[in-house]
Amino acid sequence: MNRRDWMKRTTAAGLSLIANRWQRSMAEAASVNDHFIRLADIPLNKATSLGASFADFHIMQTDSESLFAREQMVQGVVAESTFGCSVRVLVDGAWGFAASDDRSEESLVQLAESAVAIARAQGGWRRRPVEIEILPAFNGRWEQPIEVDPFAVALEEKIGRLLAINQAATGSGATFCSSHLSQVRERKWLANTFGSHIEQSRVRIFPGASVTVTDPRKNEFATRASFSPPRGAGYEYFRDLDCIGDARLAVEQAREKMVAPSVVAGKLDLVIAPSNLWLTIHETVGHPTELDRAMGFEANYAGTSFCTPDKLDTLRYGSEHVTIGADRTALNGLSTIAYDDDGVETAGREFAIIDRGVFRNFQMALGQAAWIGRTSSNGCAYADSFEAFPIQRMPNISLKPGPDPSVTVQDLIAGVEDGIYIEGNNSWSIDQQRYNFQFTGQVFHKIHHGKLVGMYRDVAYQGNSVDFWNACDGLGGEKTYELGGAFNCGKGQPGQAAPVSHGAVPARFRQINVLNTSDEAGNKTVASNGNCNGGKLGQWG
Amino acid sequence: MGLMPVGITPDESKVLCQRVLGLVQADSAEVRVAVAADQHLRSANNDITSNSIANRIAIHLTVSYGQRSASISTNQTSDAALREAVEKVQALARLVPKDPEHLPPVEPADYDEPIMWAEPTAAATPADTIGWMRPVIEQARAARVESAAYLIRRVGATALSNSCGLFVHQPHTSVGFSMTARTLTGNGSGWASTQVTHAHNLDLTRIAEQAIRKAIDSRNPAERPAGRTTVVLESAAVRDLLALLVENLDRRSFDEGRSFLNSLFSNETSLEKPGTDRRDPIGSHLFGDKATLVCDPLCPEAPCGTHDGGLPLVRTPWIEGGVLKAMHVGRFWALKQGIKAQPSPGNIIMPGDGLTLEELISRVEDGVLITRLWYLRMVQPQTLLHTGLTRDGTFAIVHGKLAGPVKNFRFNESPATVLKNMVASGIGQRVLGGENAMPMHVPPLIVKDFNLSSVSDAS
Ligand SMILES: [Zn+2]
Repeated sequence: MNRRDWMKRTTAAGLSLIANRWQRSMAEAASVNDHFIRLADIPLNKATSLGASFADFHIMQTDSESLFAREQMVQGVVAESTFGCSVRVLVDGAWGFAASDDRSEESLVQLAESAVAIARAQGGWRRRPVEIEILPAFNGRWEQPIEVDPFAVALEEKIGRLLAINQAATGSGATFCSSHLSQVRERKWLANTFGSHIEQSRVRIFPGASVTVTDPRKNEFATRASFSPPRGAGYEYFRDLDCIGDARLAVEQAREKMVAPSVVAGKLDLVIAPSNLWLTIHETVGHPTELDRAMGFEANYAGTSFCTPDKLDTLRYGSEHVTIGADRTALNGLSTIAYDDDGVETAGREFAIIDRGVFRNFQMALGQAAWIGRTSSNGCAYADSFEAFPIQRMPNISLKPGPDPSVTVQDLIAGVEDGIYIEGNNSWSIDQQRYNFQFTGQVFHKIHHGKLVGMYRDVAYQGNSVDFWNACDGLGGEKTYELGGAFNCGKGQPGQAAPVSHGAVPARFRQINVLNTSDEAGNKTVASNGNCNGGKLGQWG
Repeated sequence: MGLMPVGITPDESKVLCQRVLGLVQADSAEVRVAVAADQHLRSANNDITSNSIANRIAIHLTVSYGQRSASISTNQTSDAALREAVEKVQALARLVPKDPEHLPPVEPADYDEPIMWAEPTAAATPADTIGWMRPVIEQARAARVESAAYLIRRVGATALSNSCGLFVHQPHTSVGFSMTARTLTGNGSGWASTQVTHAHNLDLTRIAEQAIRKAIDSRNPAERPAGRTTVVLESAAVRDLLALLVENLDRRSFDEGRSFLNSLFSNETSLEKPGTDRRDPIGSHLFGDKATLVCDPLCPEAPCGTHDGGLPLVRTPWIEGGVLKAMHVGRFWALKQGIKAQPSPGNIIMPGDGLTLEELISRVEDGVLITRLWYLRMVQPQTLLHTGLTRDGTFAIVHGKLAGPVKNFRFNESPATVLKNMVASGIGQRVLGGENAMPMHVPPLIVKDFNLSSVSDAS
């Protein structure tokens, strides 16, 4: 069924029915708004009376909807709602935390008691007390500005768009195509014993598709995933994307990839598009500069960091071209919010992590600034659900454009004798101290004499974070800036997923180690058409 | 919060399922209920850093009108909330186009009684878990290392019920524990873990001792050049690689020509006698003779549930003596191809040769002992090539003996190749994985020609 047929079959009754389907969530949220101050007093007073020096109370409501379509089949329509609350206390220098989906007064008292009991059980044998800074009290309300609420858009419209993408792909010769759309609304309420009462709401959306072409005679296949990143935005983002055009291009590129020559491993100059570079920024700059991680708090899971506090203001993290900033205020940023989950106001707390190549600051949550001799958190706390302890998570972390606004990606490519222009993110991996990374991509254009001349396949680039950023010798101008990002960045035990955006311009890196992935798999390759084993598969981002 | 959530007993859970199904007017429906009362305790730098205790319920309902269906999840169980969820998901389902691959709910079947529950684990309180954690932190302090650890006490149940009359309820308990120890000088790092069903089987002192020992032994690593080499993989590394293999044994992907098995099978069968069925890889000798992987829900060392979406899960060899014996086959694909559906494995058991780790090491002339892997990601699905790194204790082996710590490596290797190149195996163990939670009981392995791609400075 194509999109037009599908739209014809839907009824006006269906459309109106669906517009009201998130009513209950809205009614619940309104009821929290009406009673929040009184409700919050219950666990906060209880915690204080039991000896807590600090306590906060969170309510979180998450609504989501995910759609999956494969070729002309809709195989997943999933709505999800969770609602619950938590109490966090600091007693005698130890944290305690308890959460429940039960918001009755009795339950709130019990949560405060449980949290205090956990904290007290650490009394007498802790080595170092937890100390936190005093935060100003905020009474704030913030709602992310969006144009079209994706939860108010008819299901038929969304499904129709996904099926149209798949049809464009298979119509252009894809063997398979799948597409998806996910949308999330987070509503959060926070009160703490500093006197804050904060209510916030934000929306994010993630459209995507992946095409596969196969050659059964040669037992080969190749795929190309869409380049559309998730955004902190309304439905207008999906509506205005040229998904159809991208699906057709994806098929063309997947086909070309299947017969492209296999790259010869060695040192090559790379020009990396924002659609690939955002993830490299995330892994090589984002995670290493999380202060809790650098201080050993993630040692048992994600690891520690090469980037330790003694390197502040001295480490040459990158070349003089490289300035990487952090904020929670960027338009459409997935990490954008007015107050973090510790109750810290984010406006005015934007900071440079790397300034003209020099390492300048870490990302911090409550109680961490004193570790590096600073006075207060820069607003990077986040809890991914009502039952999650807030931890330090990434703000939006972005590579600033070069000083010359007129520089285009073609200008960067023109400066390369032999190299590769890489688009789209794919596989990624980095060690637990963030030195040694390896990334692949979706499309690898061969650069020769400053021009794009066809494609390569089997490409991965490998390097050391600091060496890599020091090899950067050119950046696109302002107009080439694009916001990439991840819906689900993982950290912590139990694992928490956080959304985060990374803006970037295309950038040029000299003499980066390029691997041939077929060689790595132990298959002999020839640098010409037609050998078996090759290509790349896009995983869902 | 010692209270169990509603739904932990079969009776409560049945009532809840019936409440939900009773509201449904659609042609068919399936409800899954998952309840949990988990306790998480986390430490770093030899102090508790955070904890959480949370009672949780998730109700997941799928309804269908003919071939149109939609799903909804909620954690709200009031009558009003359930009614609204049902109305909403019914409204969604009516608007969804017909899915030609839609199937009616699964028919009831007989399921083995699972062995995943132990009362003392369920009864453990937050004070108990702190009581378990405190001695290992004190052990690390006494050894003058910095420790970071994570303990999760899990108690819960899952129930599945549908409009064909199926109802199955399976409770489970477990305690997982992992600890990283790091030396104050010399960049030593060690990790060890355990997972048990029964809290009485917890021996955290032994796990802490292993992590501390590895941290001390791995100080001041030398640099050994990268390259293809013989490695001894401890169980934690083996389980991460095998999980990636098993996840990708999928019949439909193969039939559609987009599985690593397409090229592997075609390469192998070109060597076999004429007349081999080139469309069915089951029964082909694709891996090394010593490769045997079994799903066994009633394996006492690492049990799992005895159904997958209502399909009975019974002891199933997936690979036996190097021969592929099973692949995941979804219900629709089974019907279309006229073959039997095969649920995904709930656990993986690899019987070992019974050699001790020392005996395995003694068989290696020149190689590397890898204790744990990290950040495994698919690089090339056509070959199942994955990349990742070694971590928390990597050692040289020379003339059959450990010859000091070496720097960590990045590897690029396919788990299919690992199973081809395995030479010997040790004694099975249940340890935690880096990125996968499936219960696994697997031995350490000797693997030849393992592709260590480059040296990592991480320690
Ligand atoms: Zn991440």
